[in-house]
Amino acid sequence: MIVWLIVLLGLGRAPTTHTVEIRGMEFHPAVLTVAAGDTVVWVNRDIVPHTATATGRTKWDTGQLTQGRTGRYIAHARGTARYACTLHPTMHGTLRVR
Amino acid sequence: MSRSRYQAALTVAALVCATSLHAQNAAAAPDLSDPEVAHVAVTANNIDIDMAKFAQTRTHNAAVKQFAQTMITDHTAVNQQAAALAQKLGVTPADNAVSQSLQSGAKQARASLERLHGAAFDRAYLDREVAYHQAVLDAIDKVLVPTTENAELRKLLTDVRPAIATHLEHAKQLRGQLGSPSRTSK
Repeated sequence: MIVWLIVLLGLGRAPTTHTVEIRGMEFHPAVLTVAAGDTVVWVNRDIVPHTATATGRTKWDTGQLTQGRTGRYIAHARGTARYACTLHPTMHGTLRVR
Repeated sequence: MSRSRYQAALTVAALVCATSLHAQNAAAAPDLSDPEVAHVAVTANNIDIDMAKFAQTRTHNAAVKQFAQTMITDHTAVNQQAAALAQKLGVTPADNAVSQSLQSGAKQARASLERLHGAAFDRAYLDREVAYHQAVLDAIDKVLVPTTENAELRKLLTDVRPAIATHLEHAKQLRGQLGSPSRTSK
């Protein structure tokens, strides 16, 4: 019964790390769904630098990532956050935190 | 094959300069070697970097300034990659007639931009950036990638292509935001 309750409350779940690859001037995957507490890692595979920067109310920013560098964000705020690359405003991604 | 590579480079020069080279120059020019083709690529990047540096001193528009900074950052990164590849392959980029033609075209473009200020400058600069990146994109797709023999050089061109396409979209988007058509742009 207690175990059931823990599972229901999600307390037994260890946080997971998800990776978003930046390649070909796109975020892969462009839409990512994670659980609150999970970590999202962006890795830049492109020659040119990029950022992953939240454009909504919740502010987070990987800063400028040169080729091969990674930036991370622990997704605490539930909801849907859109983000973009500040250097290339035509690049967009979505992070859903449930 | 070296002949077609030379023609490819000429096409790049023609596209990027938006001017055609004289047939007599083409006939007199030597075949372009790999080091010369590398020089053309580096020159094309440097031209956009220099234009962006000039734009940063002239524009008062924050978005145009940011766009210019992205051009400096990205084309510098591409040149660093090209330099690393050249070093790895033991190739020293060599100056040539096509690179010189590119530089002369850039000088002319710079001269016409230097006469402009304010919104007229912003529109003309972005018009040129749209035309320049479209020309480079066409050259990569139709000429450079199909004719480049060295696999690593071809991969570099393929890797760079999405950045050029993104720059083009960014320039178009910004140009659209500036509104009325430029009477001063070409």
